[in-house]
Amino acid sequence: MIFKTLVSQLLSRPATNRFPTKYMPRSVTKFLARVQAGQDEIHPPVPVPPKFRGKLGYDREKCIGCQLCIRVCPAKVIEFLAETKKIRIHVARCTFCAQCVDACPVNALSITPEFLLADTDRNSPHLIVQ
Amino acid sequence: MDPKNPEKDRQYGGLGEVFAVPIGPIHPALKEPIRLTFHVRGERIVGVEIRTGFAHRGIEFMGMRQGRNLIQVLYLAERICGICSISHPIAFTQAVERAAGIEVPPRAQYIRVIISELERIHSHLLWAGVAAHELGFDTLLHLTWRVREKVLDILEELTGNRINYAIPIFGGVRRDITPEQYPKVWEMIRYYRGLLEQLLDAFLRDPTVEARTRGVGILEPKEAEELCAVGPTARASGLKKDVRQDRPYLAYPDFEVKAITPEDYGLTPMGDVFDKIVVRLLEVGQSLEIIEKALENMPEGEITSFPKIPALLAHLKKAEGEGLGWHEAPRGEVIHYVRLVSGEESPLVWKVKAPTYSNLLSWYPMFEDQEVADIPIIAACIDPCICCMDRVYLVRNGREETWTKEELLRLSWEKTRRMRRWRA
Amino acid sequence: MEGLGVFGQAVLVVFLGGVVGLFYRGLDRKIAARMQARVGPPLRQPFLDLGKLLVKETVIPKTAVAWLFSAAPFLALLASFTALLYLPLGPFGPVLEGHGDAILVLYLLAVPALAMALGGFASGSPLGVVGAQRELVMLMSYEFPLAVVLVAVAWRLSTFGLAPAFSLGTMAAHPLWASLGPLGVIGLAVLFVVLLVVTPAELAKIPFDIPEAETEIAGGLFAEYSGTYLALFYLADAVRTLVMAGLVVAIFVPYGIAGALGLSGAAAAAVDFFFWLFKVFFVMAAAVTTVRVGMARLKVDQIAQGFWLWGTAVALGGLLLLVLDKVVMG
Repeated sequence: MIFKTLVSQLLSRPATNRFPTKYMPRSVTKFLARVQAGQDEIHPPVPVPPKFRGKLGYDREKCIGCQLCIRVCPAKVIEFLAETKKIRIHVARCTFCAQCVDACPVNALSITPEFLLADTDRNSPHLIVQ
Repeated sequence: MDPKNPEKDRQYGGLGEVFAVPIGPIHPALKEPIRLTFHVRGERIVGVEIRTGFAHRGIEFMGMRQGRNLIQVLYLAERICGICSISHPIAFTQAVERAAGIEVPPRAQYIRVIISELERIHSHLLWAGVAAHELGFDTLLHLTWRVREKVLDILEELTGNRINYAIPIFGGVRRDITPEQYPKVWEMIRYYRGLLEQLLDAFLRDPTVEARTRGVGILEPKEAEELCAVGPTARASGLKKDVRQDRPYLAYPDFEVKAITPEDYGLTPMGDVFDKIVVRLLEVGQSLEIIEKALENMPEGEITSFPKIPALLAHLKKAEGEGLGWHEAPRGEVIHYVRLVSGEESPLVWKVKAPTYSNLLSWYPMFEDQEVADIPIIAACIDPCICCMDRVYLVRNGREETWTKEELLRLSWEKTRRMRRWRA
Repeated sequence: MEGLGVFGQAVLVVFLGGVVGLFYRGLDRKIAARMQARVGPPLRQPFLDLGKLLVKETVIPKTAVAWLFSAAPFLALLASFTALLYLPLGPFGPVLEGHGDAILVLYLLAVPALAMALGGFASGSPLGVVGAQRELVMLMSYEFPLAVVLVAVAWRLSTFGLAPAFSLGTMAAHPLWASLGPLGVIGLAVLFVVLLVVTPAELAKIPFDIPEAETEIAGGLFAEYSGTYLALFYLADAVRTLVMAGLVVAIFVPYGIAGALGLSGAAAAAVDFFFWLFKVFFVMAAAVTTVRVGMARLKVDQIAQGFWLWGTAVALGGLLLLVLDKVVMG
């Protein structure tokens, strides 16, 4: 019974998606540098469905500064910029609940499917949305 | 069994020294931190001490005292646990809706039921894999977790994330299930129906699994009743206890859910680990039926009675009252109690009772007279979710005691009498 | 092979034994992974693991008996390598032919298990003690069927006048299958199966890996070992796998194919050696890899009962069939 499954699994392709690469590279930073230079490639991750809750998107023009998003955010992710009456989102703290997206009365906030957000600096440009 | 006097060993002769084997808080058998100290003689367990509190994060305190409004507390409640991640929001939203007098449209109730049942399938498949891993059978772990990917993909499709679905909101749900998504859900139901027989076969008819789980960790029905066990732990001992059946809520009255016991598989309930596997795998089948029926009979209408968040926040701020919310989580009954005061955004009182909290004490009779080799599978068989459970850790005069249902009832009556005297 | 002295041959065999043992461990992990629908580690992973362990810090617990704790891994590795020197290697006879026989190999196979148990007891941790107790119970259980198999084959060889009967070289040179009647062939097949079942028990692999049960006692015997000592145990385990599989091949399927292919001289030796490596790999894949992914872990009392009652009964049954076969054949 189990041996039939074992043999059939042995003879078929593994279920693992080989993201980012099949085996662990000797040095992750050197591997990433090679990928940047175009000498190596990263196997893509499993595609996400539409309406996947990833990084927040912000349309500055539409924002009216009502601060509703700040009131509902459970993780104190959003910072209000009083001079311009706009907001700054700190993605490093975000729990991706998208409650702020629901709360915004003018649809200035949206969710994007981006989720590869690992970084070494919480204030790096791609972890701040403003 | 008296955990403080392990030498007082009624059944065994005194040959051999008793020594203490600590399991946890960090141990490959445990998925979450808890310390079990076993007093063993050779391979026989003669006593066990349970020490909890390692995963206590002060979530109730954060919800009550740090100035969060109820919508923010909802997301705190969601993160009490990762596996039962919709059980806590569902119980919490029901509690607040009862306290604040908020009606929920029928379509929202159906969607909540569908996501809850999907979570039950996911949780039981995860547990089956973990149980197999504790037995040393890693192939079944990889098989069940591979199979579980399908339900996680459906959850991702419907809710936007594989865990922490963020679906319930006060007054309804946040997302609708559109007709384009129905075929994907039906395909998942067909896939799992086809696999269920294979899974039952792999777990229940494998001789090594049976050798390791039959007659191991027995919980008698009387003990389960006295120790207030809930969920599959109680049902495997033959008790027909299921919150969906006893106190129907959400849309469950329409489905007439019956508690599943090993008798539904043709076995006499023994209350051992084997019976628990039977109950959980059969519940996967039951959940598939409920989802199918829910999709067929889904009522039309809105998905929430408060589509505008400012209106919801204003209503919640004015609300006064108390409410109790309950849900049959994959591990048993979870209860949230909420007391709201008008003018305050945070709840005055928020108490969470997780199912593992009720099931924890059933470890004592289950471990009695078993072998060290059985420790991981018995620890895993109640499906412990320690992060749900660690809400409070009491020490009275430095002693630890075990109290049964009668004791707890008596204590709560006394407290009520005391409170009435203060008010009078 | 004859060109080098005994010492030179021993060094060569020990070195190759280590390399091939680790390579086979890599193959075992890869095949086990593919059976579980995973990608698995690259084939060179055991070499990387060994290298990593050798550069890590070796910690000796304060409550441990330091000299015994440190001596156990060396004992295990030395015994494993020595057992390798008594193993027939396909077309080449054992390096130490004439200086010891199958009984010595039996003891040499038991020494690493004892060394691991001693290390577990000496490690000063309750998990190590539990693991060591289990290892000793298991050792006592499977030794009897293992001994019966060796004694049965040696006895039957001796009845044909082949001497020295207990030498593995003799067993490899004279496979018994063709010389026995039908009863004897069945008896020999039974003994073959018993030895295949004892193989994962000897190597402490699932379903018999209770001494180092990962989910129960966090590595048991090996819980307190780290760095160089753990590397030595790791290597010893790889070499023991090779020795056990080689033992099965030597006693029951020592056939070569060079004769059938009409080769001779160096070419025959090379072809037969690779065929031997392939046979050893196949025995390992069947008795260790497939079994360890297809079953759950058994408890120590189930293992002890299983081997003492069923294992011994079946092995003695095989021996009885061989005796009957001799009586029938006259």
